[in-house]
Amino acid sequence: MTNSETMDDQRTTPEGEGAPRAPLPTRADGAATTTVLAHENGDVQQAAPGISISNLQAYYRGGAHAIKNVSLEYAPNKVTAMIGPSGSGKSTVLRCINRMHEETPGASAEGEVLLDGQDIYGVGVDVVAVRRAIGMVFQKPNPFPTMSIFDNVAAGLKLNGIKGVDLKQRVEESLRGAGLWDEVKDRLGEPGIGLSGGQQQRLCIARTIAVQPQVILMDEPCSALDPIATLKVEELIEDLKQRFTIIIVTHNMQQAARVADTTAFFLLGELIEHAPTDKVFTNPGDERTEQYVTGKFG
Amino acid sequence: MAERTRQHFADELRRVEAQGLDGLDLVVQQLDRVLEALEHQDVELAAMVIANDDLIDGRYLEVHQGLLSLFALQAPVAGDLRIVAAMLHVMKNIERMGDQCVNIAKTIPLTGHEPPVREEVLERILRMGRAARTEVGQAKTAFATRDVDLAEDLVRQDRCINLLNREIFQLAIDVGTDPDTREWAMHMVMVARAIERIGDNAVDVGEQTAFVVTGLFREFSDSSHPQPQV
Repeated sequence: MTNSETMDDQRTTPEGEGAPRAPLPTRADGAATTTVLAHENGDVQQAAPGISISNLQAYYRGGAHAIKNVSLEYAPNKVTAMIGPSGSGKSTVLRCINRMHEETPGASAEGEVLLDGQDIYGVGVDVVAVRRAIGMVFQKPNPFPTMSIFDNVAAGLKLNGIKGVDLKQRVEESLRGAGLWDEVKDRLGEPGIGLSGGQQQRLCIARTIAVQPQVILMDEPCSALDPIATLKVEELIEDLKQRFTIIIVTHNMQQAARVADTTAFFLLGELIEHAPTDKVFTNPGDERTEQYVTGKFG
Repeated sequence: MAERTRQHFADELRRVEAQGLDGLDLVVQQLDRVLEALEHQDVELAAMVIANDDLIDGRYLEVHQGLLSLFALQAPVAGDLRIVAAMLHVMKNIERMGDQCVNIAKTIPLTGHEPPVREEVLERILRMGRAARTEVGQAKTAFATRDVDLAEDLVRQDRCINLLNREIFQLAIDVGTDPDTREWAMHMVMVARAIERIGDNAVDVGEQTAFVVTGLFREFSDSSHPQPQV
């Protein structure tokens, strides 16, 4: 791993907090599927697991080598930003973390991605359970257009067949967690699509956290939002890291500087540097990082 | 790598830095004049030095505003951020050096038209002044060329200035009992102190040079802990 030594202090998973975590379920182990996501304590402060990727290689159709031997530690309950120019591989790495990369026709990935020490690429691991444990927020808000605000948030629970939870309570918790409750509590039955762009994105975040994932991946979550809506989402990210491990891909370097605890710089499919964000933006260790963050190329 | 971007920002940063560092040339000019005024007891030239301090103050304000604009509009990071942050310090140093020249100039009318000059004191004062002048010029070159070795060499030169300052202090103590001579010597102690501070400010500029290059701030010499810490 490039510069892995700088991250050693970030590797310890907080212990003694939150609910105990069950192992990732396999396809043959249907009974355990719901256990992986069970965070029954509902505390605001909650220890999330970290993610560790080692020797990750990713390819696209025709053998294009998009990710070249990347190893990286995403610290628990921290925000890690991935920055880099277009084509640097940051979004591909993100999609490898919840096994979405392999959904691209002709794409493949090799290496190890450990969630709380368990390989999500392990034989027989249930991909759906992986994606439930590792939620994702996309570039453009994508609420279900025909659903109400309430149903949009509840959708994740319903689609994942999660039973035995108080739906109303979970929806309210999730909307509060996404900083949207006060704005929508009197119109939960109205279409989600009727909200503003920023509200829609927070609705999608509420939908993501409703299934109580452990990790949230964000792919350019503010690129379609105005500055005020962006600010709200950035403040929300600060709150969310109390409960989740957050990995964010952003083109906006100032956003990375504002929200991330550590920042990883990618170039041409390689991890160039991963360090505390203030170091990356004040005194980066690699000349290429310096050139990129100061805008000398991009 | 793709083509260079943010050219306007790069140009503006270079321009503001050059404009700021040229302030050190203004200090050198002021120092030359005030030393000449001191040597020849030229009250008019001293008055000009006092008036010209507005140029340095104006430069300080102008560059300071330019740096604030870069912060606000360009959000500099990494090496660029360090240059902008360091230049804020350097401008303060320049403004202080200008004030020290004024402090020296203000003593000149106080000593009268024919002061009881002691050559051994005046000669040391002028030597100090020339050394400080060299230091200021060297500080500018070191910063502009990002030369840490040259910046660190300022400490060596500053030691000579400090030594002369102590010698002048001792000579002033031993100057005798004539009240006029003692008063003149007291003023020379103040002048020496002002020159010594100019040297310190030049060393500070050198420290900022090292910060820009390495990203780490460290004092070249620690007056609070004069012995090297292991």
